[in-house]
Amino acid sequence: MKEIIKLGLILLLVCVVAAVALAFTNELTKDQIALQRNQANENARRNILPDADSFKALDENKLNEIISENKSVAEVFKGYKGDSIVGYTFKTLPSGYGGTVEVMTGIDLEGKVNGVRIGNHQETPGLGANVALPEFYNQYENKSAESEIEVSKTEPTNDNQIQAISGATITSDAVTAGVNIAIDTFKQITGK
Amino acid sequence: MNPIKTLTNGLFKENPIFFQLLGMCPTLAVTTSAENGLGMGLASTAVLICSNVVISLLRKVVPSKIRIPIFIVVIATFVTMVGMVMEGFMPALYNSLGLFIPLIVVNCLILARAESYASKNGVFISTIDGIGMGLGFTWALTVLGAIRELFGAGSIFGMSIFGVAYKPALIMILPPGAFLALGILLAINNLLKSRSA
Amino acid sequence: MENAGIFVILVSSILVNNFVLSRFLGICPFLGVSKQVETALGMGMAVTFVMTLAGIITYFVQKFILVYFDIEYLQTIAFILVIASLVQFVEIVLQKMSPTLYQALGVFLPLITTNCAVLGLALLNIQYEFGLIQTITHSIGAAVGFSLAIVLFAGIREKLEIADVPTPFKGFPIALITASLMSIAFLGFAGLV
Repeated sequence: MKEIIKLGLILLLVCVVAAVALAFTNELTKDQIALQRNQANENARRNILPDADSFKALDENKLNEIISENKSVAEVFKGYKGDSIVGYTFKTLPSGYGGTVEVMTGIDLEGKVNGVRIGNHQETPGLGANVALPEFYNQYENKSAESEIEVSKTEPTNDNQIQAISGATITSDAVTAGVNIAIDTFKQITGK
Repeated sequence: MNPIKTLTNGLFKENPIFFQLLGMCPTLAVTTSAENGLGMGLASTAVLICSNVVISLLRKVVPSKIRIPIFIVVIATFVTMVGMVMEGFMPALYNSLGLFIPLIVVNCLILARAESYASKNGVFISTIDGIGMGLGFTWALTVLGAIRELFGAGSIFGMSIFGVAYKPALIMILPPGAFLALGILLAINNLLKSRSA
Repeated sequence: MENAGIFVILVSSILVNNFVLSRFLGICPFLGVSKQVETALGMGMAVTFVMTLAGIITYFVQKFILVYFDIEYLQTIAFILVIASLVQFVEIVLQKMSPTLYQALGVFLPLITTNCAVLGLALLNIQYEFGLIQTITHSIGAAVGFSLAIVLFAGIREKLEIADVPTPFKGFPIALITASLMSIAFLGFAGLV
């Protein structure tokens, strides 16, 4: 019995030392990690809504109301140029092939998609992961929010179509669904 | 014990992947590109060196009955630290390795070195062993990643090798390609071994 | 993923995102304990047992300890300790309660602590923000997927033993290439979910 207590105490001691060491490292790297995350998000927002020079998160009650209707919406930011709103940015989380795909969409007040970027995802490298390349996401630029965007497996024939990455239709569909959710939310906010 | 011999042991003669077949999960999972392989290798090396040093220091005070739990706690601590540092300073790599960073904890290579080497040898030589095994693991991962990237995407470290005319064999980047590439590498390795013997 | 139905999670974890063949979790036992169907079956059962329990316990640890006290950075260390103690506990209980089952599974139990499928499962459950029911479903599905892969693989390897394989490919190389072919077959399930 005495030995068990002794062994338990040693194990406890090791765990305490480990926890303290980790708390210390956490304290040291916490700010840097938060900074990196913020910076990545801030940069992404600037890219998808180039007209805006500052961003503010949408009022929390309003956001919760939107999320209660559509769980795929994660974040909504208002983009300001000076004091006036020029557009909105949305982070949506549609399901792709390997899990959720983070899709960031910027829409200006005229209802035009300014830009789309892909954040974290677990899509297949070389296939689905290619949605994070400019060749793919630039297709969404200047699409009108009037009608839903559709995915085409061949050369797009309509203005509201984009071409899927061959072999990665599921991911292409997912990103497009993410953009469409952003468009719906945009309409809901602006009442158009 | 000869430090240089210990070092080359890990790098070649007892290479963790080609000879001991340890640490297979990250080997197969993250080697979709040379860069990922290198990143994973270096992250594991950092953990391996730190855990070897600490476990070697503790080797005389750790009761043998609870040595495995203690080793695991030490390893998990360093893995979490490496993860935090990577997330803070190399977010892109951190995101592409994803789940496999915390899973370094259960990389059998690290526990195997702790149990069979660091817990029986001095600090200096254990550090060397960590460096040798770690770098041996790293180069094997990088080579595997480079081969899969070359055939699967036509590039190495993101630089195009075959030009645009090359139609990449996507299967090499998908899961089956991992098994296939490692299987063929091991066969080549066996062939070389039987030739030299 | 967090809204996915039970059935979708089950099919996805057994076939589409098979732990061994598409996520590369649990490769060590997959290659190490797959020479005979019988031992593979034993390993599969031991893993299923531990994984399901580990999935449930880590869910509560995450929810009521790590998140509650805001110490989520201790996740890895907490989970691995839970798994290690769980394996010990299961070993002791089995030894007392059912010596036959212990004899069948006993040798595999210590190996499970360092089976990355168990820790990987616990981390994935949290990452997908699963609820309790989903966690249980996913844990069982993942474990069944693991067992399925290892038993099928062992069946093929038994036949390989008597096949005429070129000398350099004997042993692990041919096993890996077999695994590759199985993985290609499992890719065929991709469209299911």
